[in-house]
Amino acid sequence: MDRAELIARLTPIIATYAQDKDAVASINETTDFIKDLKINSANLVDVILDVEEEFDIEIDNLSMERMLNVSAAMEIIEEKLKTK
Amino acid sequence: MIGNDIVDLVQAAIDSNWKRKGYLDKIFNSEEQFMITSGIHPSMIIWLLWSMKESAYKIYSREAKLREFAPLKLQCSNLIIHNDTATGNVSYENELYYTESYFDEHYLHTIASTKLEELGKVEIKITDHALFDYKKTKPASVSHHGAYLALVYL
Repeated sequence: MDRAELIARLTPIIATYAQDKDAVASINETTDFIKDLKINSANLVDVILDVEEEFDIEIDNLSMERMLNVSAAMEIIEEKLKTK
Repeated sequence: MIGNDIVDLVQAAIDSNWKRKGYLDKIFNSEEQFMITSGIHPSMIIWLLWSMKESAYKIYSREAKLREFAPLKLQCSNLIIHNDTATGNVSYENELYYTESYFDEHYLHTIASTKLEELGKVEIKITDHALFDYKKTKPASVSHHGAYLALVYL
């Protein structure tokens, strides 16, 4: 899966929980889930569970710790898809 | 240093489905899950434990200038619940935080500190006017969620 496809599949998940809908329109790899998109921290769990379902992967606790922005999320997804 | 966290319980019920498969496992260890499922108000205990973790994490992230999403590393213990208040501890990265919480049917609020005596000295202001210009009042810790804004002064 190339990065464009990955971000295209990731964006609707993030958009569901983003409180700053304007920031969703300009999502890129540097976008921060909390600072930019204003995702409620309790909803970060939903982002992680949705990502697990969408990509059929399991995100371990260590990976979850750093999943705070788009680029980290993409790295983690790519990593998990490789070891599947 | 002081940390605080407010949960608008109505908003939380709308935004979060904690019954979702896998949800609790990502946030709460087995002892915490036991506290949640053994009581008559599981959702209240969920947000209570959550706000304890959040308020302690806020102190840690400010001091360490580090951000991470590691709810399982923040471990709640010694939780004692009274009528509308609760006290407890949160441990995180070898640091112990003391917490005090207040709740009613609308919101739940927790303050945390590494010094137990500090908790008794703070002034807490909770308002439903989230747009009021609080920055000039120089709060030591700020939390907002849903309709509520919580400010803590030292």
